[in-house]
Amino acid sequence: MITAAVAAPVSATTAPVKERQSHAETSVEPEHPWVTIVWNDPVNLMSYVTYVFQTYFNYPKAKAEKLMRQVHNEGKAVVSSGTREEMERDTEAMHGYGLWATFMQDKSG
Amino acid sequence: MATAFKRTRHGITAVLDESERDLLTRLFLDVAELLEDGLPDDSDPLVAMVGIASDATVPDDPAVARLLPVASTEDDEAAAEFRRFTEIGLRQRKSQNLRTAAATLAAGDDVVLDDASSAAWLTALTDVRLVLAERLEIRTDADAEAVHELLEGGLEDSDADDEDPRAWLAAVYDFLTWLQETLVHALSK
Repeated sequence: MITAAVAAPVSATTAPVKERQSHAETSVEPEHPWVTIVWNDPVNLMSYVTYVFQTYFNYPKAKAEKLMRQVHNEGKAVVSSGTREEMERDTEAMHGYGLWATFMQDKSG
Repeated sequence: MATAFKRTRHGITAVLDESERDLLTRLFLDVAELLEDGLPDDSDPLVAMVGIASDATVPDDPAVARLLPVASTEDDEAAAEFRRFTEIGLRQRKSQNLRTAAATLAAGDDVVLDDASSAAWLTALTDVRLVLAERLEIRTDADAEAVHELLEGGLEDSDADDEDPRAWLAAVYDFLTWLQETLVHALSK
């Protein structure tokens, strides 16, 4: 079965195709890296979130705690950046740990 | 009465009595089944070969949707593709962790965890707490506070558990939170 989500861009404008081409052309050195964002939730313990950042990303405790506090206080934090594939992998890992994560292209820089 | 998880020379250990182990086992297996219910049958060839689903809809049960959240807030197509490629694997790994955690409770009051089973316990406790929190409608930090306060007031009345299922659920949630806090603490040492 082909989902509507996959089929949609074909019948829409050519813009998505162009985007994809430009991404492919710059895939070696992307203009805008992708990022993984972890969002605050009322369930996960601060100690656990810190532990996950230390364990999965290998971040030192101080960095892991700083990111945890940013998630808690600001509602979200960028926890990693890299290629789209890497960010999808990190997002999947965070979901495995029970954290809500999303990936997106970083358009800020 | 349960004792906290501790790091000892035998591994990560805790003491849990029979009623606590029964409760935890039931919760671990219930959430495992909740996740397994959403697995497609093996007749889909793509699923059987590589674990890629043809269906990419967000689960109807909000608790399951929280365990398998939307991976992109700005691109529905990317979120659907991510779900097609990851959801089956996530369901399988989560249910495996829950079943591994449940299995460690079969040996008796002394629960002894190695590295693999303590990792399974951490995510199992997280997933059960996420499901209970959804049933308790804990959606904000203020909701979480309110549930905690409900407990502080409610438990002085010893009949509260029987009369109010929400108070019972809140007490279970609080117990799991405490247990997980001690497990993270033991693992961080």
